[in-house]
Amino acid sequence: MLSRRVRTFKRHLNTNDAYNAFISKPSSVSPGVDGRILSHLTYTLKDNFMNSDSTTCASKLLSNFKSPYSATAASLIDENGGQFRGKNNMDEFGMGSSNTNSYYGAATNPKYEDGDRIAGGSSGGSAAAVSAGVVNFSLGTDTGGSVRLPASYCGVIGFKPSYGRISRWGVVAYAQSLDTVGILARDMDTVEKVYGVLNRHDEKDPTSLPAGIRDMLQSVEEAVDPGAGEGLTIGIPQEFLVKELSPQNRECWLNAVERLQDMGHTIKRISIPSIKSSLSAYYTIATAEAASNLSRYDGLRYGFSQEAPEDVDLDTVSALIAKNRSLGFGPEVQKRILLGNYTLSSDSGNHYLKATQVRKQLVHEFNGIFKSPNFLTNSLDAQEDGCDVLISPTSVGDTPTIEEFLRNDADNFLNSYANDLLTIPASLAGLPAISIPWGNQSIQIMSQFGNEHILFRASRYLLN
Amino acid sequence: MTLLRNFATSTSVRATFRPLPEYQLKCGLELHTQLKTKYKLFSLTPTSVINSKPNSKVSYFDSGLPGTQPKLNPEALLLALKTAVALNCDIARISSFDRKHYFYPDQPLGYQITQFYKPIATGGELILKEPLDDIGLADNSVKSKRIRIQQIQIEQDTGRSIYRKDGSISVDLNRSNTPLIELVTLPDFENIYQVRSFIKKYQQLVRYLGICTGDLETGAIRVDVNVSINNGERVEIKNLRNTTDIVQAIEYEYFRQVGLIKNGTPIQSQETRGWDGVQTNARRSKENAVDYRYFPDSELPHIQLSSNISEEIKNELPKLPSEIAMELLEPPFKLELKHIRYLIDNKVLLDYYMELHSILTHDHKLEGKFAGNWLFNNLLSSFKKARLEITSNLNLVPVKQLSELVVGVVSGRVSKGNGKSILQSAIEGKQPIDKSISSLSTSSQATASSIVLSHSQEEELCSHIINTNPETVEKIKSGKVGSIKYLIGMAMKQSSGKASSKNLEQIFKNLLNIK
Repeated sequence: MLSRRVRTFKRHLNTNDAYNAFISKPSSVSPGVDGRILSHLTYTLKDNFMNSDSTTCASKLLSNFKSPYSATAASLIDENGGQFRGKNNMDEFGMGSSNTNSYYGAATNPKYEDGDRIAGGSSGGSAAAVSAGVVNFSLGTDTGGSVRLPASYCGVIGFKPSYGRISRWGVVAYAQSLDTVGILARDMDTVEKVYGVLNRHDEKDPTSLPAGIRDMLQSVEEAVDPGAGEGLTIGIPQEFLVKELSPQNRECWLNAVERLQDMGHTIKRISIPSIKSSLSAYYTIATAEAASNLSRYDGLRYGFSQEAPEDVDLDTVSALIAKNRSLGFGPEVQKRILLGNYTLSSDSGNHYLKATQVRKQLVHEFNGIFKSPNFLTNSLDAQEDGCDVLISPTSVGDTPTIEEFLRNDADNFLNSYANDLLTIPASLAGLPAISIPWGNQSIQIMSQFGNEHILFRASRYLLN
Repeated sequence: MTLLRNFATSTSVRATFRPLPEYQLKCGLELHTQLKTKYKLFSLTPTSVINSKPNSKVSYFDSGLPGTQPKLNPEALLLALKTAVALNCDIARISSFDRKHYFYPDQPLGYQITQFYKPIATGGELILKEPLDDIGLADNSVKSKRIRIQQIQIEQDTGRSIYRKDGSISVDLNRSNTPLIELVTLPDFENIYQVRSFIKKYQQLVRYLGICTGDLETGAIRVDVNVSINNGERVEIKNLRNTTDIVQAIEYEYFRQVGLIKNGTPIQSQETRGWDGVQTNARRSKENAVDYRYFPDSELPHIQLSSNISEEIKNELPKLPSEIAMELLEPPFKLELKHIRYLIDNKVLLDYYMELHSILTHDHKLEGKFAGNWLFNNLLSSFKKARLEITSNLNLVPVKQLSELVVGVVSGRVSKGNGKSILQSAIEGKQPIDKSISSLSTSSQATASSIVLSHSQEEELCSHIINTNPETVEKIKSGKVGSIKYLIGMAMKQSSGKASSKNLEQIFKNLLNIK
């Protein structure tokens, strides 16, 4: 079973795509527009962004899908001079942390030449394409770490903004209350340039932050900003010291902290108790929302539909829908839909509500440790001794080989879910977070809701 | 064929069906009402009209394309709020949307966006009042029946499935995402008269307020019924297309349940049944009920309303049909019930009637009955005779001119027969009323002397009026020149309309030294 899955990995290799990072490439390459902010920069999209090419979400169910419209984010990049180079491989519908759950086979990690290692997921193809130097940047989506984790494994920068910063119109929903559009690139200049283009209100997306709130967020951030060159207060959440954390990653974390301390920043040990219940709350919410969002894929109006074979009774519509979904979705997607539907079913109790309460408590605890008030949750008093940013490793362990990963996953699928341990809290709380390469590992930095600029500055301190 | 005839002959009996005293009927309604908005509930697609080409009013969101998101249409919210206020409901300060999941080809998202946990309005009532509404109670002393409303929620309509003879299903998504409100009543109905009255009254209300076209036949309003006996298990009946269906299905279901009770057979709890025109049929029982897996739609922001929203909406609403009806029953209007209903269903004519009544009674001091008589006996029939739709062609008979004509006929200056033919030729576009009247008065000058006062007679009349109304005269002299109209009115009345109001005005002005 395992070896069969491994063998099928590279069957999609068509062009010189050594890492199976692409699902499709445009038939002709546009030269892009000159004199714009992103002119001469090449980019790819994770294959869950709509544009004029096909959009598959790495699923058999959408393997024949072509959208009649484009995602706002994709259009903005094009208008600002970006040159489109293709759609990237991913875990099907964003569900996974390894990019092995793809109808088109796994993407592999360009950072390692000693055999097939995972690119991470779910935006694995995007991370691989940027890491291999194929393009300058890629847009991915981050629901629980899907931009940060593959960026970490592939040795590039992966940034996820505050929830609502970048329009999700035209981006396929996995879990709509957590989904964010993220940016993968090799340097901070590119990340900030792309973010500058995408950071705007979109009236088509009901969850996009309105212009007025953006202005308020900016003034709140400016009010608490210690200023360029001034020392930051940096928090170390002790709940991230989990038993799953590898010695190398622990070492890397310590090392980064020492470096920052040497630069004159204040280091503070802090506690956010709800981090411990984040993982289960996250999977409860994400799978419930996914089960709902993926209900629309019935193969009737678009997407994969089963031709009625002789032996299958497709008399009733529900039988046809069931058939299309059973054959169209991969095993991980089906598993999460089942989990989500169980959570939502009337027999299961009120798990979704409980998870939502954990989420609220988590936000409350984050608000308690940041210097900046959270404009959205109305705690408007700045805390002088609060933190500007928090830092932790991005991932708990080293980049496994595909075989290792699948073996672990087969032992217990919760092993795979544990990869998201460190990235999930920022997703649940809607906070901006970034993963930056640090030695052979990577460091994650988080800041208060809306405080992207402080986050970028802290990132540059570590990168320089 | 035999079946049909039996069915048809039995309807007259059905209309008088009353529940048996030992088996008390309890009935509740669930009404789905399509809101008359320009755009759909969560997209900027124009709402579909009948005869739109299938799947021509469908946006990316309406067809459930990936990557699309909903955006609430505020017009739908306003119409829902108007309904809630008109029915005296409590409007929620904060309400929100939820997803109700089930798979069906005409449900493109795989779920319906509705309001399950926090509906826009709760509570409320519609009061049925005799004699406006038939409440069907043997006890004549009971004059009204209160039907309590449990809640009103905003939700999306589905698309439409068309089942073909070859076994295929065609799906038209034009209706998909059209705004609906679902109104649920408590099981307060005791008989079919009340159900019928409620539906009629509700239709009248939503039509009058421009909330919905109000038709059952087109599916703009769809009604489900639940029926229980002696507070037993309730059974829901769906697929009722018109009032006849509703009435017959309730009666059938009532006697079916009475039969079961008499046999000692328990009634299935939470059963859903359909109506096929003859009988109700089992559709779904509690055991195979769909689990809709409700949960909040986090993409749609909560609806937050100010605490005085009910007041604000109330101030915007016109006088409600039931209030108008009560007024029209009483003096000075005293209209017949059927005429009141007709006017309320035709707001343009209602306004026309009110203006005509006001001109005739205030300006010409005539009795109010003339307004109703002329509108219902002459105006309607003349339009009918001309085969013209009345509401859109009322401009052919401006209300001022009709009132002149009425005054002319009442005063005897114009004969009844002439009056009718003047009206008819105006409606047929031959000659406007004002021209007819003026030509009539010139051509019949010879005979006019007998029915029109001479100048000296008019002068004599005016002096008399001045002498008998010293207070009014005082007012006019102190500057309230407008009060001269009162004197003119008095003079017109005393002359039985034989004087010319224009002449009278001049004479009064001369006598009172007003320029």
